[in-house]
Amino acid sequence: MALPLYYNWRNLRVRKLSSALTFIVVAVLVLVLCVLLSFAAGIRASLAASGWSRNLLVLKPGATAESTSIITPDEYGRVVQAHDIARGPDGELLISQELCTQTSIPRRNAARNLANVAIRGVDATAFLVHPEVRIVEGRRFEPGQLEIVVGKAARDRFENLRIGGEVRLGRQANRVYRVVGVFDTGGGAFDSEIWGPRAQISDSYNRRFISSAALRLNDDLAATGTIAYINGPAVALESKRETDYYAELAKKTREIVFLTTILIIIMSIGAAFAVANTMYAAVDGRRREIAMLRTIGFSKAAIITSFVTESLLICVVACAVGVAASLLFAGSRQDFLSDMTWTVLAYELRITPGIAATALALACAVGVLGALAPAVRASRVRVIEALRKV
Amino acid sequence: MHLRLIYLYRNLTRNPLRTCLTCAAVGLPMVIYVLSSAVIVGMEKFLDNSAKQLRLAVAHKASIVNPLPDGYARKIQSLDPTGTRLTAVCGMRWIGGKIENDPRLVSTVAVDAEPFVNAFPDYQLTPAEKDAWLKDRQAIILGRGTAAQFGWNVGDRITLRPSLPPYTPMEFHVVSTADKATDPLTNWCHRTYFEEELKKQYPEAPQNMVSFFFIKCASRQDLDRFRIQIDDLFKGSIDETKTQDEKAFMNEYITQQFNLPRNLAILSAVTVFVAIMAATNTMSMNFRDRFNEYATLKAIGFGGGYVFSLIQTESLGLCLVGGAIGALAPYAAFRFTPLRNVTVPLIQHLEIQPIVCAYAIGIAGAIGVIAAVWPAVQAFRMKVVTALRNLE
Repeated sequence: MALPLYYNWRNLRVRKLSSALTFIVVAVLVLVLCVLLSFAAGIRASLAASGWSRNLLVLKPGATAESTSIITPDEYGRVVQAHDIARGPDGELLISQELCTQTSIPRRNAARNLANVAIRGVDATAFLVHPEVRIVEGRRFEPGQLEIVVGKAARDRFENLRIGGEVRLGRQANRVYRVVGVFDTGGGAFDSEIWGPRAQISDSYNRRFISSAALRLNDDLAATGTIAYINGPAVALESKRETDYYAELAKKTREIVFLTTILIIIMSIGAAFAVANTMYAAVDGRRREIAMLRTIGFSKAAIITSFVTESLLICVVACAVGVAASLLFAGSRQDFLSDMTWTVLAYELRITPGIAATALALACAVGVLGALAPAVRASRVRVIEALRKV
Repeated sequence: MHLRLIYLYRNLTRNPLRTCLTCAAVGLPMVIYVLSSAVIVGMEKFLDNSAKQLRLAVAHKASIVNPLPDGYARKIQSLDPTGTRLTAVCGMRWIGGKIENDPRLVSTVAVDAEPFVNAFPDYQLTPAEKDAWLKDRQAIILGRGTAAQFGWNVGDRITLRPSLPPYTPMEFHVVSTADKATDPLTNWCHRTYFEEELKKQYPEAPQNMVSFFFIKCASRQDLDRFRIQIDDLFKGSIDETKTQDEKAFMNEYITQQFNLPRNLAILSAVTVFVAIMAATNTMSMNFRDRFNEYATLKAIGFGGGYVFSLIQTESLGLCLVGGAIGALAPYAAFRFTPLRNVTVPLIQHLEIQPIVCAYAIGIAGAIGVIAAVWPAVQAFRMKVVTALRNLE
């Protein structure tokens, strides 16, 4: 027979201060865990929403990212020969020549520090190759005009990127481009970028070559063959699925997860000790009570379960509060400078169900580990000895 | 006094389990505090070294990634034809680099060989290293962290593939592993060698461009003066410049990487808070357990101040021991065990400075004092009569 939960609840209320302090320790632990993991989850979610497995990204071999890649017209001419490139509604090849560069724009925060924002010069085909890029406000840029469209995340995170805003771009930063539209890819990496007409961007930056080419395949199965063709001697460039390219960028988040793991392990051990301390005090203060319970027939197992439940009760409620508190941070915009692309990726902190589950598991582990030793001690209370003191 | 110490010792050893648990609950957050402070201090040290070097960094005004023509070096030098105020103007081009079949980036910068030696005296190259560096156009100075990471030594021949045009493998000869430098990651090679390869392998790509110039000044006044003069010199030209001192330049980059210093500071504050909670918990339990004792002490004539200080010292002692263990464990771990090879971005080797440990112990002491305030005040105010009434 188990002891009723109400008994545990009453017990917790007897030692208000001690229970409250343990509660705070566990809640803070959970909060730190959730916030740290939400960085990684935000970046991963953003990069996972980027690219299509049916799209190939073509770069110069050796280039680590689009921004350091240069493709000459000759090379591009060979890429176009690849089979299996899909065709658009007007029969044009779905291959987008892209010129990637960057500019410094102040962040919209108090410090107004500069961020390296990616600029992508594209043609109209780009919107067919990347159909996820949807204009949600304003309109597309007109070819030949000094106009740009900006990602939603970039607009929110960086200064002066609202519709009608003006940005000075170009090698001399002397071409004034006007923001005419905002696009949304549903949280992908493009959302942190500025897109403009390729010819204008190319002229402003005095760049004669494109950085990369993105192409859409007829079907998923064609990828292997086309990659082999482009990476082979016929073209001698490097192509990969867009999804693979972004997965590689997402590897950066492993560092955060690794760091978080170490920190959380150290903190959880500390928290488990705090819980153990509280529970030991609870056990010691209730020796007579426990002896009484044992006398009236509760088994050792019931006593252990009861104490572990009591500790779990604190930890689970603390976990709920910690996760709830971390939700206050969710959605806040951050950005980080990728050391591969040298541009910033804006992302939102995200508390995923996975993170909440991890937090719950951690809180339970802390609760059980912290309570186990005190509970066992409680179960060993000798009935006679305890009753003698009554 | 003697009596008090005995009492204190007895109190702490009375419930050894509780003492140990509290020590751990205070010590473990201190471990985190020490580790994150070590990273912050490491970065500050890096930046402070930058500030001490009296160097200016000249980059493109529009964006750091826009290149500048290398001919600017001569124009900048012409601001001080004697060469006594501006002692070195070193053009640099970031070329990245990777070795075959390895995803790790070998961050390499191509520099003007001779100005580099003069602009970076903090590298403290030996005369032999300097000689080898200047004579061999394929010479490379490795950051000691990079050298350790890839197992490269002086005398090795290594092949890197730049991340920029020409993208083709280039062979380098290791002449130094820069053991004295504060930057353990960056590798330095000759810009002339890079430009030759570029011309040979990729004539279409723009030639003779640099990412930035590093300029060594003779004094702080010169630094401030030239910072403005250089930007004025190129005002209105095709490529305008933005000149900052080296610290500001580096800082801009660091804050973009997750704003690590700020976030770590927040994290350590949180862990200290957790430690306060844990210690307060113990002290309040101790106080409750010994309520009768304190009442008795007061009844037999010890003053409120005595009991107050008794509780305070106990808490202080407890937290100091926990804090000392928590501060010294990572210190020892990162100095004497394989952990010292762990790499951290930017500062590479995590050096735990004794001063950080001292701070941690100080903070642990403060935690002890704060944790005991409430129980100690209660004991101080305790009315003997009420207390004795509760005696069992």
